[in-house]
Amino acid sequence: MGTTLQRTAFSPNIKERLDFSCAVFDAKGRMVAQAAHIPVHLGAMPASVRHVLDRFEEWKPGDIVLLNDPYAGGTHLPDLTMVSPVYAGDSGGPVFFVASRAHHADVGGMSPGSLPLSTEIFQEGLIIPPVRLVSGGSMNEELLEVLLSNVRTPIERKGDLAAQRSAHTVGANRLKKLMDEFGFEEIEAYASHLQNYSEARTRSTIKKWPDGTYEFEDAICLRVNGIPTTEVIRVASTIRDDTISFNFAGSAASGPHPFNAVQAITESACYYVIRCLSADDIPVNDGCFRPIEVTAPEGSIVNACHPAAVAAGNVETSQRIVDAVLGSLAKALPTRVPAASQGTMNNVTMGPVSPSGEPFAYYETIGGGMGASADADGLSGVHVHMTNTMNTPIEALENAYPLRVRRYAIRRGSGGSGANRGGDGVVREYEFLDETRVTVLSTRRDSAPWGRNGGSPGLPGRNTRISQEGVERELDSQFSEIFHAGERLRIETPGGGGYGQAGPE
Amino acid sequence: MAQRELVGIDVGGTFTDFVFVSHGRMRIHKSLSPDTRHEESILEGLSVLGVPDDAALVHGTTVATNALLERKGARTALITTSGFEDVIELGRQQRPELYRFSQSRRAAVIPSDLRFGVEERLDEKGQIITALNEASVSEIIERLRNSDVESIAVVLLFSYQNADHERRIANRLTEAFPGIHISISSRLIPEYREYERTATTAGNAYVSPVVARYVRALASTLGSRSFLVMHSGGGSVDAETAANEGARLALSGPAGGVIGAFEAAKRAGISSPVRIITFDMGGTSTDVCLCDGSIPLTSEAIVADLPLKFPAVDIDTVGAGGGSIAWVDDGGVLRVGPESAGAFPGPACYGQGGARATVTDANLILGRLDVNTPLGDGSIKLHKEPALQSLEMLGHVMGLSVYETALGVVRVANATMERALRRVSISRGHDPRQFCLVPFGGAGPLHVCALASALEISSFVVPEYPGVLSAAGLCAAGVVFDRSASLIAGIDDLKADPAPYQRLRDGLKREVDAYMHAHDCKGDIEWSVDLRYLGQSYELTVPIEPSDDPVRLDEASAAFHAAHEQRFGYAMEDFQVEMVTLRARGRSKPRPWYPSSQHNPDGVGGAASADHPVWFENAGPLETPFIHRDELLPGEQLNGPAVIHQMDSTFLLEPGWRLRVADNRILHCTRTPDSSTVR
Repeated sequence: MGTTLQRTAFSPNIKERLDFSCAVFDAKGRMVAQAAHIPVHLGAMPASVRHVLDRFEEWKPGDIVLLNDPYAGGTHLPDLTMVSPVYAGDSGGPVFFVASRAHHADVGGMSPGSLPLSTEIFQEGLIIPPVRLVSGGSMNEELLEVLLSNVRTPIERKGDLAAQRSAHTVGANRLKKLMDEFGFEEIEAYASHLQNYSEARTRSTIKKWPDGTYEFEDAICLRVNGIPTTEVIRVASTIRDDTISFNFAGSAASGPHPFNAVQAITESACYYVIRCLSADDIPVNDGCFRPIEVTAPEGSIVNACHPAAVAAGNVETSQRIVDAVLGSLAKALPTRVPAASQGTMNNVTMGPVSPSGEPFAYYETIGGGMGASADADGLSGVHVHMTNTMNTPIEALENAYPLRVRRYAIRRGSGGSGANRGGDGVVREYEFLDETRVTVLSTRRDSAPWGRNGGSPGLPGRNTRISQEGVERELDSQFSEIFHAGERLRIETPGGGGYGQAGPE
Repeated sequence: MAQRELVGIDVGGTFTDFVFVSHGRMRIHKSLSPDTRHEESILEGLSVLGVPDDAALVHGTTVATNALLERKGARTALITTSGFEDVIELGRQQRPELYRFSQSRRAAVIPSDLRFGVEERLDEKGQIITALNEASVSEIIERLRNSDVESIAVVLLFSYQNADHERRIANRLTEAFPGIHISISSRLIPEYREYERTATTAGNAYVSPVVARYVRALASTLGSRSFLVMHSGGGSVDAETAANEGARLALSGPAGGVIGAFEAAKRAGISSPVRIITFDMGGTSTDVCLCDGSIPLTSEAIVADLPLKFPAVDIDTVGAGGGSIAWVDDGGVLRVGPESAGAFPGPACYGQGGARATVTDANLILGRLDVNTPLGDGSIKLHKEPALQSLEMLGHVMGLSVYETALGVVRVANATMERALRRVSISRGHDPRQFCLVPFGGAGPLHVCALASALEISSFVVPEYPGVLSAAGLCAAGVVFDRSASLIAGIDDLKADPAPYQRLRDGLKREVDAYMHAHDCKGDIEWSVDLRYLGQSYELTVPIEPSDDPVRLDEASAAFHAAHEQRFGYAMEDFQVEMVTLRARGRSKPRPWYPSSQHNPDGVGGAASADHPVWFENAGPLETPFIHRDELLPGEQLNGPAVIHQMDSTFLLEPGWRLRVADNRILHCTRTPDSSTVR
């Protein structure tokens, strides 16, 4: 299913960078299996299916429901999610659901790439509540037309939606084949065993941890209406026997900026951390989530309410939630928790300024330093925690868009020192060949990824604009600016924190 | 062409296998691989078999694979476009494990202090933005003088569009360092995507000097004998080419196995198209490959974390083999592998001190291996007692009997191998029931019935010498010389102006023809082209006729639509098709290598068959005849259960299966009619 989507998609974001996930759910909407490339989709996919099942009672073979509304099962607008039923033979209703979520390069809104400096969700692009895009196998062409009329690159979108739809056909066919072979009862029983197995292993992991409540807070530094602010993310993690709960009371209220996260993202971040602290061969499914409880105050930055803007909640705030959760658990599991990683995805979106030019919308994220752990140095130049997308080859990028990459290198020395060194960040420098609007959403520019057990923090990141004459000007961690032909943008991504006291050289 | 005598020599991690085909007879030899100086054990094997000096030798080797796996290649430098010295280290910016806080990667094959940026830059069309700065080349050459490097890779951005800068740098290097190895990306693999091209070129520069030393040592040991070397693409090349393009050998051995299986299937009378799934179960891993009429190739092989863009036989590998260790995880579930007991201490039953139960131990306890038949050349004897102890220990944790535990171990190992078989078949839109399985390797025939049943495959064939099939495949492989080049252009544009396409094609043709001519190989060039829908990033390879008639481009497009439909379930006929890479494969005519009739080879077993109890799933122990392979006569039929053993392998015919011995000694196995519904 995932292979089909990757191999046939048109957005660089899906085909080169693999910014998508696929999953299978049982009839009650419990996740049975997930082919995840992107941990931020962990808790978000189940939320989508939950909303779809709440809204639709009647299903036909060949239906596909589409959604991106963060307040109805989505996380941020560019992530388009499809959910479709799978039937066993000709008996009754759906027995399974398959879901896919892919980050599309543009869904309209105030800036190309649909990750704008927004203050409310209506600026971020087309909002799609759960609706039938395909009904009984036939495409709702009128809906598709509405959709394609609201985006900057309709042909690319159409190809991506076709690829995503075909992934559903493949997923459903494979499941049907399995059921033909083994019978629905056996598959269902196996699916349920698998969930119980994952639950048992997750519980046995948590049971070994010391009971207690452990607190920590981290923050993201933003500019709201031009004024620098620090938005706190606070968590109290309570381990009790074989369960764990995370309470985010005391976190900042949501605000007029795009860094608000819906609760599904906060859940994803918590699930991700527990997954990493468990044995890495536990199959990912609903069972992994059962011992975990997440509480976040409504209207906060970690459980935003309509119509808060959410574009960066998924890609930035999610990373800081992981940092906060890890910080709290470090007090319970001092040798298991690593230093902070780069803590950002360095989201770069761009598109043409003049409406007469060839339309394009390009999105990429840039890796950085991974935090060091008790056992190993952090890796350099990789994506950390909530994402793991690939880069777009320069030879593909320059072939498709009016820009030139001038430098792509490891940012040596940016990782924190320590007994184990934090990984180094990345330097990526773009030269624009045409007038281009560039929007960057990044964090860890004003604060550094922390070290642990005496390790030093990693270097914060830096965004720099370079004029045609070579004059450099440092930019904010979040900005949307027009670059002229010949101007450059240099992004230096943060290094990871170090772990343990560095010994004498 | 007179039928020359042929030898296939496959040097593996544990054993070196020889297959000698001479005057209608095939003889085999197996010896333990030494740690060093393989060339001497090769010479010894040739003398044991009495191979004459003029016999044709084809060699499969792990020397390139091991250099990559252990990062023991040459000290290598990289010259690349300034600003992009770290591309090789950044890779595609993914971390290897999604859910792990402590991770490590194998080091880049070229360390950062040996990576040099040169001032130059091309654009995406190959036009010069910054001309090559000769002074910056001189500076790099000066720094290289004291760096003690043996090998240099040259990879510049967009060099697949314009090779001039790379060529000029290479010329300067040759002048400055005569005799040093130089790998140039535009010559080796002129295809787009800078990381993959850099990795391939750097990997080649890294292993070629090692391969060169090895083939030179072998050549000097073998004296007047000449030999060919098997490469990942399913053919052989001369030793000099192997030494210059060492990374092409990275999957040399497994490729030989697939060819051996394909040839065995043809001899078994499987009519064209040959539709088989090869199943090679060895000590630590299992390789599977689905052939739908031909041996499939990929250009996306990854060896030791390094993507190698050379065409390679498309093999899926899983970490389950005879030596895979069984264990119980913290959820109380029985698991097998990927950790392996290796050759030392090996499975508990080797009696070399191994205490943890392996798949081989389970097979021994289930009565499926004969304790009295030593493995390979007789150096490894099997001991029942330690095997029993290891399984008792494992069973104790789960509260199961020894036999239940042993059956469980086999079941779990089978499930792992079944997943690989599903990945190459069902996951790619093939119905495994339409394919014939070909089991080989030391352990493949032991597990084949269970796997065939799991996939509802109703027939399989067991080759004559399953344990040395890779070496037999070397005898069968002809010379194959691959070249490719990128041209990213719409098919419609190429029809309007075919000149760039024709230039590319003619260039490839000249190069391949020159090689085939120089090495006295007659044969045709097979042409194929990588196509995709305009805007996609992944291509599918389809055949193309090389003529100037534009209809040929349309035919290739049509084949692409069909391939897209087959692989992904849909085609978009109204979308524009784009060409990415053209591939030319020079292939010598297949060797008439195999004896037409096979009489009983050496070592006809005298042991009479005896019955032993063998444990089966849901059936308990059944009295089962143990028969030496050489005792089976052509035309003979046999119903399972039976164990057929021979020097190089053991075959378990389970209840519900029947075998028939063909004239050429290949075993044809089918499910008996009354068992067709049994799973």
